[in-house]
Amino acid sequence: MAFPTLVPTSRSFESGDYPVKTFKAQNGKEHRILYGSNRTNMKLSLTYANITDAEAELFLDHYADETQGTFKTFGIDRDTTKGGWEGNEDAIGAGTHGNAYRYENAPQLVQVRPGISTVTVNLIGVL
Amino acid sequence: MAKVYTGRDGALIVSNVAVAKVVSFQVTANLETLETTALSDNLRSYTPGVVGYSGSATLLYYKDDSGNINTAKILNRLFRAGPAGVVSTDDVDLVFRWVDGADNNDIRMTAWITSASIGAATGDIVRAEIAFQGTGALTTVTIS
Repeated sequence: MAFPTLVPTSRSFESGDYPVKTFKAQNGKEHRILYGSNRTNMKLSLTYANITDAEAELFLDHYADETQGTFKTFGIDRDTTKGGWEGNEDAIGAGTHGNAYRYENAPQLVQVRPGISTVTVNLIGVL
Repeated sequence: MAKVYTGRDGALIVSNVAVAKVVSFQVTANLETLETTALSDNLRSYTPGVVGYSGSATLLYYKDDSGNINTAKILNRLFRAGPAGVVSTDDVDLVFRWVDGADNNDIRMTAWITSASIGAATGDIVRAEIAFQGTGALTTVTIS
């Protein structure tokens, strides 16, 4: 079972960073050591507002059954999860940099009215 | 027979008793809409949410020949002594009616009086203004 192919109603993305360790000398000069060649730790937050409970259940099932919570990584669909984004696909993705997404925490579900819910999922890119 | 309804045809009934000296009333039905527009959409879309009913009325403060005050069943829902405030039995049965001979066009609901005001002004008739919030489904709807 793949990550649900719905277009989110809002999306936020943080680009992550390369593994950099920063040291500051006593004279104030900063030294940075690059420990890897891949950017990681990108964060993708997706909100699916006012979807049906059946659609909301897809996220809960994916989290519970497919990925074993925050344990396993997975890919996301370009055409739906990134729907509405007109820049390069890799700019808000994780795969180009050798990452895959996993759940940062459990999907949050808010029941709006009978049969209608809003789901928010927070994903994090990991190497 | 064709008919245009006017204010003369309107009536406000509280707990099966018509309220005297009603100047005006207004009933509003409101549907909450939930937006379902996705990021890739160019046009907004919605799904229906919950429906609610509310409104207001203006009454002249009036005492009839028997000494009964016409606003008694309304104003006392909020203007009252004692520490209890409003309790669950303080809802009111309201019927808004447009009369055409023997043909009644009704909207009936259970409601809470959410605001009530009354004052006095030199050279003016005392009026009571009330606002209400319907709760649950409409009991009767015979307007179309």
